[in-house]
Amino acid sequence: MDNQYLLIMFAVMAFATFVTRALPFVAFSRSLDHPMLVYLGRCLPPMIMVVLVFFGLKGLQIETGDRLAHAVLALVVVTTLQLLMRNSLISILVGTGLYIFGIQALDL
Amino acid sequence: MFGYIPLGMAFGVLFQSLGYHWLFAPLAGIVIYAGSAQFMAVGLLTAGVSYTEAWIATFLLNSRHFFYGLSLLDRYPKRGVSRWYLIFGLTDETYSLLSAKAPGRRESDRYYLYLTGLNQSYWVVGCALGASLQSFFEFDSRGFEFTLLALFLVLLIEQIRVMSEHWLLMIALVSSVVAYGLIPNQFLLAANGMCLLVLLWRWSRVRSHG
Repeated sequence: MDNQYLLIMFAVMAFATFVTRALPFVAFSRSLDHPMLVYLGRCLPPMIMVVLVFFGLKGLQIETGDRLAHAVLALVVVTTLQLLMRNSLISILVGTGLYIFGIQALDL
Repeated sequence: MFGYIPLGMAFGVLFQSLGYHWLFAPLAGIVIYAGSAQFMAVGLLTAGVSYTEAWIATFLLNSRHFFYGLSLLDRYPKRGVSRWYLIFGLTDETYSLLSAKAPGRRESDRYYLYLTGLNQSYWVVGCALGASLQSFFEFDSRGFEFTLLALFLVLLIEQIRVMSEHWLLMIALVSSVVAYGLIPNQFLLAANGMCLLVLLWRWSRVRSHG
């Protein structure tokens, strides 16, 4: 394992993350309510999340129909729990637990 | 807030699949401190991507934080070390806790510091626990990657609640499929870029039609 690669990756990602958080504080000294930024701030984050959900699905490396059906089931459970209870932790843990159970115990 | 312990543990377990020393997991929690970016880092490290690609992917993934900061400009202290620590620690979780407070009302700086610091310590403890347990007991970690997907889905559901133009979600979905089909290696950049372009186009139309 290449520790140097890991540490430089950490530094790069830490810096990129900090820039996204610091940018508004550095760029604007007080609240900025330019209508375009307000519009982007309202609409862009959910769109990015759709892309990221797709990215997360891609990361599961689904190759069989059984596994796809199981992943969809787990996603439906996450969505239902989140809509009903609005407790992110419960939704994530129950959904992930169900998915892991299917992968490991049922060998999907 | 305690949610950061199990989530951090899931990251730690997943991180151990890479084969590095477990102490690097809490280190990531200390210096990067971004849940979804750290999960993504596992994928990036596995793929062995370039530093440039890692920078762009992280920047895009966390670009939503830009809009968090915008709404907190007035509330954060104006200068000092505490200001920079609070900015550094502005995660999804911390933001949702801070912004849940009545708008306009400003809590003391000490309260913000306490909340942000506590959140980060839970997260770092979670990362360390997950990674160390996994390195000592080596249990089966298949399926843990679902945590990332579940996290994004939950964030999406919460953001849809405050969104007015739902057809934009279809645009984002189409962008994803097109980006996946055409340039899968630059998937995040291509898909998010298309979303931004459509939004800017939409904005210019809205404005010109009053």
